[in-house]
Amino acid sequence: MSSESSYWNPVLETLPFVTIRALQLKKFKRIFSWAYDHSKFHRALYDEVGIKPEDIQSFAHIRQIPTVEKSMMRDIQGKDPFPYGDALCVSLNEVTAYRQTSGTTGQPVYQPDTWQDWEWWAECWAQLLWAQGYRPKDRVFIPFGYNVFVAFWAGHYGAEKIGCEVVPGGVLDTRARILKIQELNATAMMGTPTYMLGMADTAINEMNINPADLTIEKITCAGEPGASIPSTKKRIEEAWGAKVYDHAGATEIGAWSFECTEQPGGMHVNDAFFLAEIVDVETGEIIEEPGVRGKMIITAFDRHAQPCIRFDSKDIIEWDAEPCLCGRTSRLIKGGVVGRTDDITKVKGVLFAPSSVEDVVRGIEGLGNDYELKVEKINDREKITLQVEYLHNSSEEIDKIKSKLSDQLRLKTNLNYEIEFCRYGELPRYPVKAKRFKDLRK
Amino acid sequence: MSQKINLSEIDKEIKQLKRTSELLKEKAKLFPSLEKNTSRILASIKMLEINISDIVELDNEQR
Repeated sequence: MSSESSYWNPVLETLPFVTIRALQLKKFKRIFSWAYDHSKFHRALYDEVGIKPEDIQSFAHIRQIPTVEKSMMRDIQGKDPFPYGDALCVSLNEVTAYRQTSGTTGQPVYQPDTWQDWEWWAECWAQLLWAQGYRPKDRVFIPFGYNVFVAFWAGHYGAEKIGCEVVPGGVLDTRARILKIQELNATAMMGTPTYMLGMADTAINEMNINPADLTIEKITCAGEPGASIPSTKKRIEEAWGAKVYDHAGATEIGAWSFECTEQPGGMHVNDAFFLAEIVDVETGEIIEEPGVRGKMIITAFDRHAQPCIRFDSKDIIEWDAEPCLCGRTSRLIKGGVVGRTDDITKVKGVLFAPSSVEDVVRGIEGLGNDYELKVEKINDREKITLQVEYLHNSSEEIDKIKSKLSDQLRLKTNLNYEIEFCRYGELPRYPVKAKRFKDLRK
Repeated sequence: MSQKINLSEIDKEIKQLKRTSELLKEKAKLFPSLEKNTSRILASIKMLEINISDIVELDNEQR
């Protein structure tokens, strides 16, 4: 039956939403008690505000529980039980895997996991890959560096759990990876949007291989919001001749969200395994209504070694008003993760999300995939510069592109830009996650 | 779909599987291969619990 089912778990994924909410409350109480009883860090945090496990009887009670910031996790690590500190809920003998965050926003955070936690990681991924059409017949190529960062490790084990044949693309360079995909007729792949576009560029420009002629049918993207940015998704899909699906997860949280094969313009939250709450960035008030953006506070119900309870993810999301046609009853977040609170900044008095520039740049034919963005302050005047690469254009075409780019950027972001054109290949390339935005005002 | 699957029956089997694994683990003090393999089995059984038993438990609580 399972190979015929559209759902990895036909029960959990189609529960009436009212039942999902009851399940969430039950599971929240369980993980809160676990953390309170086993982690000195969590107990101290909750004792400080006088909240005990038996006090939690409703979602209103949950909202009173203090959130956990990444900086708090950084503060406790490096101490006993070494190196994780006192949020560790199991003995060190039970810890079977070490991972850490990528360090994009500062000192990496250590993440201990037990066998059970790893089974759970793989379970979350199995569910999302199944929803994206992965089946045992797939040969999944994973072009990822298999190191201390969690990245696609759990994707590897999730694909194995489904029964796919997994090909670890570990230390191979980009060319060798492309040749391996060609040699083995791999049908699916996982990577950051930046790397998926970079691989396609290498195949076309350095190897004379059209990636769309290879056998990749589907790509799961994570690590950056690109696969939910329409123009980036389109470019990856066209380059590889494959369907591209987004996924959002984090080392401290788990694999909490995914796009399904319906490509509904957003991602499902795995509501049976996580409680995602959206709060107003300024007031901290809970946002229940669709279409209103806020930051996500998230709880993982089944993660035991180092629990994730009301973690301030800093991801900006909004609920979608419409259910997904796939039949899953879990909630959708519209447009995926649309930004991060630590990325959004004011430029010339206007709130600015760098990811909105990506959609414009990659939506214009004649421009390359890569771009760089910087904000400077010159004599008290803020200046925002966008560098883009042109592809084989005449100066007349460049003028047209420049005008189109300026108009669309102004429309989308309410800002005027200095636009600089570079030759193809001049701008930096990023192997995994791109850091294209530089705020030089600080 | 959920009406066609007898979750309570499945849950009974999961509980039996867990009991058996725990019994094996108790007998494994000087037998690392038995202890570690049953520990891994128990980690997998936990996934069955979160996929199925939690729902059965919730259903029972709500009756």
